[in-house]
Amino acid sequence: MFSLFSDFFACRDNRFSRIDPRVKLVVATTAIICVILSTSVALPVAVFLLSVVTTLALRIPVRLVALRLAAPLGIVAVLALLQSFTSGSTPLWSVPLGAWTLTATREGVHAAALTASRVCGAVSVVLLLSLVTPAHRIFHALRWFHVPQGWVEIAMLMYRYTFTLLDLTADLTAAQQLRMGYAGAGRALSSMGAVCGTVIIRSVDQAIRTHEAMVLRGYRQQIPFGPMPPLVAQDCCVTGLAVVALLLLYAAVGRAA
Amino acid sequence: MTRSRVSLLAPVALLLFAFPPPASAMHISEGILPAPWAALWFVLSVPFLIWGLHDLRVRSEREPMFKSLVGLVGAAVFVISCMPIPVPTAGTCSHPCATGMAAILIGPALTVVITSIALLLQALFLAHGGLTTLGADIVSMGVAGAFAGYGVFRLATTLGVSRWPAAFLAGLLSDWATYAITSFELASALHGNASLGQTFLAIAVAFCPTQIPLGILEGIVTAAACRFIEKRRPGLIASLNQPHGGVA
Repeated sequence: MFSLFSDFFACRDNRFSRIDPRVKLVVATTAIICVILSTSVALPVAVFLLSVVTTLALRIPVRLVALRLAAPLGIVAVLALLQSFTSGSTPLWSVPLGAWTLTATREGVHAAALTASRVCGAVSVVLLLSLVTPAHRIFHALRWFHVPQGWVEIAMLMYRYTFTLLDLTADLTAAQQLRMGYAGAGRALSSMGAVCGTVIIRSVDQAIRTHEAMVLRGYRQQIPFGPMPPLVAQDCCVTGLAVVALLLLYAAVGRAA
Repeated sequence: MTRSRVSLLAPVALLLFAFPPPASAMHISEGILPAPWAALWFVLSVPFLIWGLHDLRVRSEREPMFKSLVGLVGAAVFVISCMPIPVPTAGTCSHPCATGMAAILIGPALTVVITSIALLLQALFLAHGGLTTLGADIVSMGVAGAFAGYGVFRLATTLGVSRWPAAFLAGLLSDWATYAITSFELASALHGNASLGQTFLAIAVAFCPTQIPLGILEGIVTAAACRFIEKRRPGLIASLNQPHGGVA
């Protein structure tokens, strides 16, 4: 979980990580909107391939990419089955299942393929964004886009302390496992409850220490974010070109005939 | 809904019942909801977020360390929501929502705020959920989960039920409420020419093998955690949930 959740790869220096986070957020959002508005599978598939190839070109481990892409595929499988067999009217093929016969329809399979391609396309864009932009830069950019101060402050605290508490949880769980804390279902649930309770108590203690440390460093009820560097001409050009390219791609292949 | 359509949905639901999807699938993935539905759920989630942020501001003015407290408790709840729970019927590990536990600790409005942050982090770094489906996920997990959990906890404690059975009910109902609303969100957006009710039923049945036991297990873990906190730090839960937001 630690390595899956960490922004370790986003902190590496490369051509994409050097781009301003505001530019990346605007381009990623445009790409996702184009993908979900698309009525043809061509655009989502093109975006998916482009994102995955870029991700792999940045030397992100294939296992990490596969692990992150695996999560949404569960719901896609369910919805693809439902849409293939329950909507539409033109029969494609049938599967006997006991007393019933399941019939997949042309319209249903098309709807399922479109949904699956949209999920793959949109998820791959978010994956690429998260692999080239550290979390604190995303939060800073969100503040620039006028996301409320309180929300961004809580988000930064949550992200910062998630790793500390993940470490604590792993230590506690390992200690319990060594003491047969997970031998049997009842004992396992009791052990999990103890871990959850301890994590909450420690988080409250840590909150007191964190607040004191922040006050000592001049905290006055607001984390100062400071101004972001001004957008340079190159950033504006990259944003404009990428957005126009995506809109042209959407106009060309995003709408089914 | 014709008879033939109903007879079609039954075997599909049975097929999905036999091969249950993971519980992480209860986050609606990026790209699943069509744009108008994604926008609608986002608009519906905004008033609750504003309420939560207002609550945060008011309580922070009364208790200066309240923001740190919410951030850290939010991180703890997020970590708990990542803990794997083995679900016997699915044969896999799933993870709890933990919104019931969060609502007991800091109240439902603030739970919506920390849920929205947790969902954004999960969308960005775990590919659970998504940016365009954030509104729908906030409504199902944050709003439905938190308010159902908090409501039943308050009702049970008001009726004289002791704290840890009430916590069990909060964990159980917050999970099931999330699951029901997610099924409705998916069905309303994707039912096509099938009826909304039957599609909702088919999706709900598909997730039953995972979510019903997971809800019970989440209830047990929530109760065990509350019992542990009450033993080790008596009064902490009550003091966290007071309007002034102090710490015992």
